[in-house]
Amino acid sequence: MSKSAKEWIQTPPFPTSHFVDSRIYTDESLFKEEQEKIFNKSWIIACHETELPGAYDYRTFSHPGGAPLIIVKGEDQKIRSFYNICPHRGNTLLYDPVGNAKRITCIFHNWMFDTKGNCLEISRGKQGYQDRYTCEDASLREVKTEIGYGGFVWVNIDDDAMSLKDYIGDSMNMLEEQLSMPLEVFHYHKAIVDTNYKLWHDTNSEFYHDYMHYFNRATGMIQPGYFDRKYTGYPNGHASVGSMEIKYDAYAGSKARSVGWPGLAPGGWVLIDIFPGMTFNLRTSVLRMDTAIPLGPNKLVIEFRGLGLKSDTPEQRAERIRDHNFIWGPFGRNLHEDLLGVHGQGRAMREGTDSKWVIHGREENSTIHDEVGMRHFYAEWSKKMNRPAFNPLGDNKLSKAA
Amino acid sequence: MREQITELIYKSFLTLDDLNFSGYIDLCHSSFNYKIGAYSPEIRKQMIWLQESRDSLKLLFENLPKHNSDHSRLSRLGNVYLINQESNGDWSALTFLQVFRTTLDGGASELFAVGKIKDKIREEGGTLKLLDRDIQLETRMFGFGHHIPF
Repeated sequence: MSKSAKEWIQTPPFPTSHFVDSRIYTDESLFKEEQEKIFNKSWIIACHETELPGAYDYRTFSHPGGAPLIIVKGEDQKIRSFYNICPHRGNTLLYDPVGNAKRITCIFHNWMFDTKGNCLEISRGKQGYQDRYTCEDASLREVKTEIGYGGFVWVNIDDDAMSLKDYIGDSMNMLEEQLSMPLEVFHYHKAIVDTNYKLWHDTNSEFYHDYMHYFNRATGMIQPGYFDRKYTGYPNGHASVGSMEIKYDAYAGSKARSVGWPGLAPGGWVLIDIFPGMTFNLRTSVLRMDTAIPLGPNKLVIEFRGLGLKSDTPEQRAERIRDHNFIWGPFGRNLHEDLLGVHGQGRAMREGTDSKWVIHGREENSTIHDEVGMRHFYAEWSKKMNRPAFNPLGDNKLSKAA
Repeated sequence: MREQITELIYKSFLTLDDLNFSGYIDLCHSSFNYKIGAYSPEIRKQMIWLQESRDSLKLLFENLPKHNSDHSRLSRLGNVYLINQESNGDWSALTFLQVFRTTLDGGASELFAVGKIKDKIREEGGTLKLLDRDIQLETRMFGFGHHIPF
């Protein structure tokens, strides 16, 4: 029987940890709070170290907390990060996403900085500021930066943040060996979707949506071992999913993967979600890394990277690229489906649609179709936001005994 | 011959626009190779995004109904810039490509992608066929994307 308006808004018959108010995906004030309390306090992947091959090479990065960043390798080979904001009139210092800048020079008034964030020159500084304002006052704002877990460059806006090692804890243990060798990015693209970042991370945190992917149903869901894969939750909101042997040749046109990954069983697939929006997805021959960068409550940029081993032969690399593209490339079988899914959620949940609840209620002993991965995320989200995800604005009443 | 080559290229767009996949495959040589690539300034690398043979592209099309896809229509607009004959008798063509996407709901059209196509064309059984199609995209962002290549 369909529901009346009153029934539609009744809380689902689950514990309050098993559903969320859909306003957490749409509310502008909650999003601003997330930027402050979550993104500006968390370690976020800005790029990969191989994107900065030489001294003075830089990448720019739009931090999900809001700050535009420069990630730059110094003469000393150390990678540092700074606000991409000139301390003079607030101009963007480096416009291009990538480049080489021995001197970081603002195009507006030619103020100049080195790759350690020191101001080197203020044009006609003495004449204009006398001794009231010198290069000593005009350094760039540095952001904590660490390299780790496969050579990724992580940044944290919070000067007092815990170390990256403490933040990650044991959550990356399943990939410790696999990420211990030098990696290289061979694929990068972005997608902008009208959806909330959490919905993308949710999709990476539950495998029940394999029903959406014909490829995954054929090569995984109907194969032995699929329902044995288990979720494990870790402190700080991270989660991992155990492996199985994927039968790639069960899909017409696909074939068993001939290139594997050191330390990963043939056909293996390990996935690790890092709070609040990054996913390490090692699928037999390719590591995919997603970084979710929200632009607003219902606008999301996702950065997709595909990585292989730096030691790959040309033939191995070609295999990895082919494997990547088959399901994860911009024209791949799975990626479009995942994006279509969260696009549909964004459309159905945008403000004013009367979407009310999102259910994370499946319990299957933490195995693959259990929704514990999402529940684990929202427990951390609620802690960091100091408000429960099922009642984020304090105006929901529980309809039934939960 | 130039007219026939231009017509072959335009027919390849029309068949895909009409979701006439077997019609498209019929335009392809038995040794057909298809590639979509793009250069990423972010990682300073040329990327391959799709690489198919005639047979694997045919399979890709045949598998489409099993997948969940956006059903917006794509319209391909090409301008054939250059046509040259190679020393082995094959022909090469350079075409500027624009792809528009039109939503099913309301029919709003938007520019979806731009790029250039390098084709190689060979005569097979008395008919001109596409031997190689190499699409180099300028566009690298497609929103939620599309399953059907260009």
